[in-house]
Amino acid sequence: MSAQLELPTVAPFFADKPDLLVEILGRYPDYGRRSALMPLLWEVQRAERHVGEARIAEIADILGLRATEVKGVMSFYSTYHEHPVGAYHLQICATLSCSLAGADELYDYLSEETGVVNGETDREGRFSIQKVECLGSCGSAPVLQINDDYYERVTRSRCAALLEAMRADRLEAPWRERSGDTDVADPVAARADGSPSGTGGAP
Amino acid sequence: MSDAVADRPKPIVSRFDPRFEVTLYRHVGVAGSHTLPYYREHGGYEAAKRALTTSPSAVIDEVKTSGLRGRGGAGFPTGIKWSFMPPADERQRFIVCNADESEPGSFKDRYFMEDDPHQVIEGMIIAGFAIGATRGVLYVRGEYYLAYERLREAIAACHAEGILGRGVLGSSFDFDIILHRGAGAYICGEETALMNSFEGLRANPRLKPPFPAQAGVYGLPSTINNVETFASVVHIMAKGGAWYAAMGTDDSKGTKLYQVSGPVARPGVYELPMGATFRELIFDLAGGPTMPAKAFIPGGSSTPMLPWTDETLDLPMDYGSMAKAGTMLGTGGVIVIPEAKCMVDAIYNIVRFYAHESCGKCTPCREGVATWLPKMYQKLLAGLGTREDLVVMEDMVRNMRGTAFCPLADACAMPVQASFKYFRHEYEHLVDHGEPLHARRDWWSA
Repeated sequence: MSAQLELPTVAPFFADKPDLLVEILGRYPDYGRRSALMPLLWEVQRAERHVGEARIAEIADILGLRATEVKGVMSFYSTYHEHPVGAYHLQICATLSCSLAGADELYDYLSEETGVVNGETDREGRFSIQKVECLGSCGSAPVLQINDDYYERVTRSRCAALLEAMRADRLEAPWRERSGDTDVADPVAARADGSPSGTGGAP
Repeated sequence: MSDAVADRPKPIVSRFDPRFEVTLYRHVGVAGSHTLPYYREHGGYEAAKRALTTSPSAVIDEVKTSGLRGRGGAGFPTGIKWSFMPPADERQRFIVCNADESEPGSFKDRYFMEDDPHQVIEGMIIAGFAIGATRGVLYVRGEYYLAYERLREAIAACHAEGILGRGVLGSSFDFDIILHRGAGAYICGEETALMNSFEGLRANPRLKPPFPAQAGVYGLPSTINNVETFASVVHIMAKGGAWYAAMGTDDSKGTKLYQVSGPVARPGVYELPMGATFRELIFDLAGGPTMPAKAFIPGGSSTPMLPWTDETLDLPMDYGSMAKAGTMLGTGGVIVIPEAKCMVDAIYNIVRFYAHESCGKCTPCREGVATWLPKMYQKLLAGLGTREDLVVMEDMVRNMRGTAFCPLADACAMPVQASFKYFRHEYEHLVDHGEPLHARRDWWSA
């Protein structure tokens, strides 16, 4: 609802970014101009943590579409947000392999600590939580995606440390979890004899 | 005739066969392996260079010789798919890379794109040349942001060095790639839904025919393959189709990436020749289960599970053996299910996934997968189910099979059916006692 209260006088997002607009539209052939829809939504969302009504109308104008068409596409996908998410958008993979590694408990913990449930953003705009489906990190479960980054094998203690870091605004770049054939410094040498090389920890 | 068979060298079906070498995943996990200088130092783009000196039909023949089957899950022979393209005319043609990996239990493509993006690009160049496409579309799922960034850098590096653009690698072949980022929808892994999504539409699957070769991206002739398929093509062109066909079983050739997740000592991605056994993957490579197991899902969440027995663990991981066992190889994503996990709850997790991802286009899927079935599971798990409910559920999933545009409803129905086949007693225990055979527990490690 709050989206409808947005001031119509807000400056257009792409007005001062003509080069970016040309670059995005230029990726696609002339007959495929509409393909730019998803990248345009991404640009707005990365900057504003959601895509509000005014932006939807602006993108529709750029592509010669109606706002409802843009909204129809946007609402199909689970990673575009109609309302602002938090500065730390916590996305917890809830699918089977992660669930077997404690994703349900991970969700309960984060929800209790931040005071928000699935789909909510806190009052300060700091934390939001979204339960998501398989992130393709099943071998390094459970995975917590914070904004764009994957934090993998998030044990109880790692999760507590992450939360503390976010609260202090000193979250570090994610560690690169590897598993199976990808978990050795020099796989070429290590695998010369065809022996097993994975050293991934217990899930 | 019989002599010829006897003389034929034994095919390679084990990772421990001394003739086997890791090729696809050679560089994944190595620091800096995503850069162009690293890739070229290790023979990168030589296969494409060689392919470009031959002819498109020679490339297709080589891929046919290799016996490569699509690695996205369906296992359709790649060379044959490529030959479906209509004769060249003035229309633009597209080669599309399906990098929307999102089948639960599958995570092999992500590592490729993060650590070895050039391998994917090289495969697309070769495939584009083979089918006469001067444009490629690489559709990567929205959550794979690092992969997207790495691919973007890789494509830019290729432009700077004449590997993409006009006159690829000094040849007369022009080729470029449009990198496109999805936004969180499993259905985009379905080829026609992916094309709709790329075109800026809602990702509803299209009715087939027409198939992508006739009307794909923007209604133009297109061929679409999985990330791993493109990577495989690179090695087939580098070492020859015969080298590839020396690995694997009669109907499943080559080397493949398998994934193991769930409670095992070393979960992860492992490259094995096709026809290796589950035992080799789960025990010899992944170190075996860390707690008693009762079942495993062989190839991603949609493939029917198998009970944990000596017999099933010794099954070779190839297309034919899986079909014979009543399941599918899928993406090769093995999920081990421990004894202590309530099977009804495990399958509800999978059902909930498909319910979330149903696009809502077809009635059996929208009403069955997305609405009714998860509610039935919720009823059971709340301790309110009856024996009649089980009959209704079995009937419902039967009616979800083969009744929608795309296989999503089937993908949801199959694991449910398998769980009823092997673990009906857990459902019955739940409805008779109002509580599961295996109580909910804390799975999170300290």
